[in-house]
Amino acid sequence: MTEIRAEEETSTISKTFLIKPKLKSKPRTLPQTPESKYWSSFKSTRVPNLVSSISSLSFSPSPPHPFAAAYSASVSLFSPLSLSDGDVSPSSTISSFSDVVSSLSFRSDGLLLAASDLSGLVQVFDVKTRTPLRRLRSHTRPVRFVKYPVLDKLHLLSGGDDAVVKFWDVAGENVVLDLMGHKDYVRCADCSPVSSDLFVTGSYDHTVKVWDVRVENSTSILEVNHGKPVEDVIYLPSGGLIATAGGNSVKIWDLIGGGKIVHSMESHNKTVTSICVGRTRKENCGDESMEDRILSVGLDGYMKVFDYGNMKVTHSMRFPAPLMSVSFSPDCKTRVIGTSNGIIFAGRRKGKENGESGGRGNVLGFESISEPERRVLRPTYFRYFHRGQSEKPAEGDYLVMRNKIKLAEHDKLLKKFRHKDALVSVLSKNNRENVVAVMEELVTRKKLLKCVSNLDTDELGLLLMFLSKNATMPRYSSLLMGLTKKVIETRAEDIRSSDALKGQIRNLKRSIEEELRIQHSLQEIQGIISPLLRIAGRR
Amino acid sequence: MMMRGGRSLVSSPPAFSNDAKKLLVCTSNTVSVFSTATGLQITSLEGHTALVTSVVVVPPSSPAAKVLCYCWTASLDGTIRYWDFSVPELMKTIDIRVPIFNMVIPSFLDIPAEDKGKHRDLFAYVFTEDTKETQEKTKALRRQIRKCNLSKSRLVGRLILGETKKPEVLTVSPSGKFFGIRNKCKLRIWKVPDQGSEHAAVRKITLHHTKKITVIAFHPTQRVIAAGDVTGRILTWRGFGNIAFAGNNGVEKQKLINIQEDKPGVRDNDDADSCTTWHWHSAEVNVLSFSSDGAYLYSGGKEGVLVVWQLDTGKKKFLPRIGSPLLYFIDSPDPTLSAISCADNQIHLLKMPSMGILKTISGIKTPCCCPEMCKGLGNGIAFDQTAGLVALRTENYCIQFYSLFDDRGISEVQVCERNHQPGDDVTVIVTAVALSVDGSLMSTSEVKLAEEGIGGLVCLKFWQAGSQNKEFSLSTIVYEPHRDAGISAVTFHPSGNMVVSSSFGGDFKIWRCNNDIIQSDQMHQNFSWTCHAVGSYKKRPMTAAAFSADGSVLAVAAETLITLWNPYKNVLLAVLGDTLTPIVNLSFLGKSDNLAAASCGSNPQLSVWSMSKLSLSWSYKLRIEAVASAVDSSSFAALALLPESSSETTFKGRDGVILLYNATNPVPTAIWSVKKAMGGALGFLQVNPSSVEEVDGKTPEVLLAYMNGDHEYVVFDPYCKDAHEVSISQKEGLSALELKGQGGQYGYASIYGELPEFSEKRPETPWVPSFPSERPWETIFSGSSHNLPPLTNLCSAFLESLLEKRTAAVE
Repeated sequence: MTEIRAEEETSTISKTFLIKPKLKSKPRTLPQTPESKYWSSFKSTRVPNLVSSISSLSFSPSPPHPFAAAYSASVSLFSPLSLSDGDVSPSSTISSFSDVVSSLSFRSDGLLLAASDLSGLVQVFDVKTRTPLRRLRSHTRPVRFVKYPVLDKLHLLSGGDDAVVKFWDVAGENVVLDLMGHKDYVRCADCSPVSSDLFVTGSYDHTVKVWDVRVENSTSILEVNHGKPVEDVIYLPSGGLIATAGGNSVKIWDLIGGGKIVHSMESHNKTVTSICVGRTRKENCGDESMEDRILSVGLDGYMKVFDYGNMKVTHSMRFPAPLMSVSFSPDCKTRVIGTSNGIIFAGRRKGKENGESGGRGNVLGFESISEPERRVLRPTYFRYFHRGQSEKPAEGDYLVMRNKIKLAEHDKLLKKFRHKDALVSVLSKNNRENVVAVMEELVTRKKLLKCVSNLDTDELGLLLMFLSKNATMPRYSSLLMGLTKKVIETRAEDIRSSDALKGQIRNLKRSIEEELRIQHSLQEIQGIISPLLRIAGRR
Repeated sequence: MMMRGGRSLVSSPPAFSNDAKKLLVCTSNTVSVFSTATGLQITSLEGHTALVTSVVVVPPSSPAAKVLCYCWTASLDGTIRYWDFSVPELMKTIDIRVPIFNMVIPSFLDIPAEDKGKHRDLFAYVFTEDTKETQEKTKALRRQIRKCNLSKSRLVGRLILGETKKPEVLTVSPSGKFFGIRNKCKLRIWKVPDQGSEHAAVRKITLHHTKKITVIAFHPTQRVIAAGDVTGRILTWRGFGNIAFAGNNGVEKQKLINIQEDKPGVRDNDDADSCTTWHWHSAEVNVLSFSSDGAYLYSGGKEGVLVVWQLDTGKKKFLPRIGSPLLYFIDSPDPTLSAISCADNQIHLLKMPSMGILKTISGIKTPCCCPEMCKGLGNGIAFDQTAGLVALRTENYCIQFYSLFDDRGISEVQVCERNHQPGDDVTVIVTAVALSVDGSLMSTSEVKLAEEGIGGLVCLKFWQAGSQNKEFSLSTIVYEPHRDAGISAVTFHPSGNMVVSSSFGGDFKIWRCNNDIIQSDQMHQNFSWTCHAVGSYKKRPMTAAAFSADGSVLAVAAETLITLWNPYKNVLLAVLGDTLTPIVNLSFLGKSDNLAAASCGSNPQLSVWSMSKLSLSWSYKLRIEAVASAVDSSSFAALALLPESSSETTFKGRDGVILLYNATNPVPTAIWSVKKAMGGALGFLQVNPSSVEEVDGKTPEVLLAYMNGDHEYVVFDPYCKDAHEVSISQKEGLSALELKGQGGQYGYASIYGELPEFSEKRPETPWVPSFPSERPWETIFSGSSHNLPPLTNLCSAFLESLLEKRTAAVE
């Protein structure tokens, strides 16, 4: 009793007939991957007429995650909920700037917003009242970025064309640290998601520097060379990897491993202007487990989604203008992209807990608690069996493609054993190959002559017309000549009594006489040629 | 060494073991144990000397006893045996000395577990033949139902429960309280007596119907019995035997109640509450079985559809397209598994509620019946010498590949794209199948029968095997290869890239294979076959064709003549003189330069022609069914049918002999007599050392396979001197075929005396020279007078030769 139960395999008795593969491969559209379906599911809304290039976009970390857009000398706040309803007007606008706003950053609780402009001023606003609370002035040249650290509410990071990175104490409006080291304009920075002391900055001197505010002599602890002027730099959520954008490439670096390059993604055709971290559904699993992606936008008008786990571009999307900035909401529902001609493409994905979680967070004023990730469905879970018929196949699933065979009407009638109806139906269709095929099938069922004897006058006329046209065709004559003979024998009475049928018979006779004439002449020719051929063959 | 196989798996119902992991199948003298998980044979119980008719697995008395594997078997040899089939080991033999046609053991079905301590006798009810009183009694009622005490190993004396003309199937109710038989239009039901004495009176009732009843089934819990009849109706009696089986004063009660109650549907005051009828089957019902919970009824019949009836509502579910008449349906202790046996020797294991086929235990398919006009087209059996496979055509337009060494079906190739419905008129027939020497290519021909002279179609198909497995895929179809004439033979060239097909229409065609190897991700060969040459000889029907072993000569039989061709250049090389009747089988004899031709008809003949001398070497007047020649030796085997007169007396019912010849010697080196030779086939198999056990430390060079008309086969070493002894030690008495080996040389003298007809046509002259030359009329009349064709044939040939001369002169 040491048998091993073999894997169950169900076979059916009804045979699948072996069919030779067709010589020409059938063009088939590539099935959309679940991931590109996900990215296409962001329903795009256009926010037009924002005067000029959208230099920066930033989401509030607190639900319902409103986002701020910097354009020209003003900052507008948008509510993603009203966007999905089709309302494209900003919920509020801050316009107390003297120059073009270059960068925006929300504090981690979403109550304060820092904005920098090209006059060298950094301002901190109360989001609700839109009043500037602090004005940080120390930069001598245009400020290009301002950043709140992720875990720190008291400090601020800024940098600009004076090549100095400043670390601010916001409350006291004074500079804590001046970080020197870059040799060209500093364009971008990001703060570590795991430590309040670490951040990276990228500069037009091609380098990306990692700073630690605890280091006393204010020098960078690590430096990597991107090779092109760095346009944007972000920490990836693990805190160990950074991604840098510059030129038309996005590079991923391993900081823990000492600044080794992990991968370089070069699928943009023009300069990559902005990158951010996006999240997508995990492959092969149920619906709610998320995986991180890098979203990059460039001047070529493309948004690319890069899976840095598998090092490949999983989705790409084209927009009708050069793209300047991109941002992805923390609840994975909204993705906004700003163009150089003042349009924001705000994509919003439908979700179940759309209003509820957001509303609750606002009304009751609770700190947003990120929902626990739903567990991946596995065959061991009960819920796995409740996925329903509309469940979309995951990428790893094997799809059984079932080609639905469309049966013609005569085939359906043959399946129902309505033999005469099948014959009449195919005769009226005027496709002689089908007619002959149906006749052959009827012969194998021994029903053809029965059918012929059951035809009424009109149907007999159809059959005779078909025979007069095709009986002399060499391909079918062996079957059809015999049939013609039988038809005339069995239905002689009906033919005699109907003028129309007599006409058909005359046609039939004519075509057969013509065929006989042809055969005669062919035989004469054969008679002439064959002795010649024989003589030729003997030589 | 000797291997037998191809036995019927469906001669009697199989039985599941208690854990449903094994299936016990009666295969002639043995019981084969198959694994239900893999569908392969595990062991076999050998010991019976005649057909095993019943196998009953002992049910477990407690859940822990489920692993026990005990069974009772009954056989026509008059013994009941008790086995432990897990080992397997014979534990007990009860000899009751009368053939047992059927056996049921109802009593252990209801033995309670606590009774185990107390010894109780186990009773079986057996259907036997009454041999003793044959002379005295009328022959009509010779089959009896007897009771047998299995514990005391004897029949219960003088207790005959019933008698019938023919052996019927005993059916026992799952509860073990009743058993019954069908007898024409009646059902007889007995109540199994309580465990008291063995002579306790057995009560019975009879239920009547107007049609012949074919099968019955008992409900597992209620008093419900279902019966199927020949017209396809299913009758269900509810509450049968309420009166007769109720108490002691049953008869009085019956009278009382009869007046009061009316019983819908019940005939003739039968003892049942009601009788309902279902009718779906169009032909007789062969299978009837209640599900174990009693909610469903399974039925099946000739049309090959398993129907599941919901008992309360009569709603139906179907498992269609099984493709063969159903014979038995067996439920297993595992509720998700059951088995159906089909008439084409297949047992399908079903996954139950969904009725999907999990596994198929595939026996050799039974020969298909052909209409009269296609008889004599050969038996549609081709041997794959290297792999030890045989390809045979089956009824459902398939070619089954059956492994002779493993005794199991390998695969099936659907030749025609049609669904086979058992019972339909045959309109499409696979007429011929040929395999190339390496077994990678196959060619089949099929005929679509015409309806009153119109629409017939002959079709020649070429198949190629996939890389390793035997999955054949179609490479070329040729419609009407010889216009409307039928194909008489298809043969592969030894190299495999050439096929000749000969037709009754007077020509033969040579097909060449163009294989374009497409270098894609893997090697993919794409064969296409085109006609290379057409040949004909005086418009005579071509009846057989064969290639020589090196492929340089093609022999085609033009009725009575043998024409030899160069297959590459399509040049006629020679014509070999006349046989008396048309040749149906040609075969080159291995590497030797001899050709064997078998002709049939009123004047059958086996003749061997020498290629080097272009003359007849020797011939016998024998009806030859099949000829096989070994590839690399000069010997060949012929299966000859014996005339009816001699087979009755000298051969005890055996109707054929296998003769093993050396090509140069007209004296056979060995003779075996066989049964059911009509429709048989012979084939030499090359020995694969791994598959054959050694005999006396050396493996035989070549094996001869003989397959009889019922597709049972035996594989043996034709050169083994002690084939005789081996066959005896192999537990003789296989009902179907038995070889009486005669060790070649020494035994021939005695055989020679017994078979005077073999030597009727001993050649007086060693050979008849017939050289085709520039002047053929000189050779026409040469040769011995008995070999001369009739004058009418001769005259036309002579005149034709003169005409030929004239044309030559003109040139």
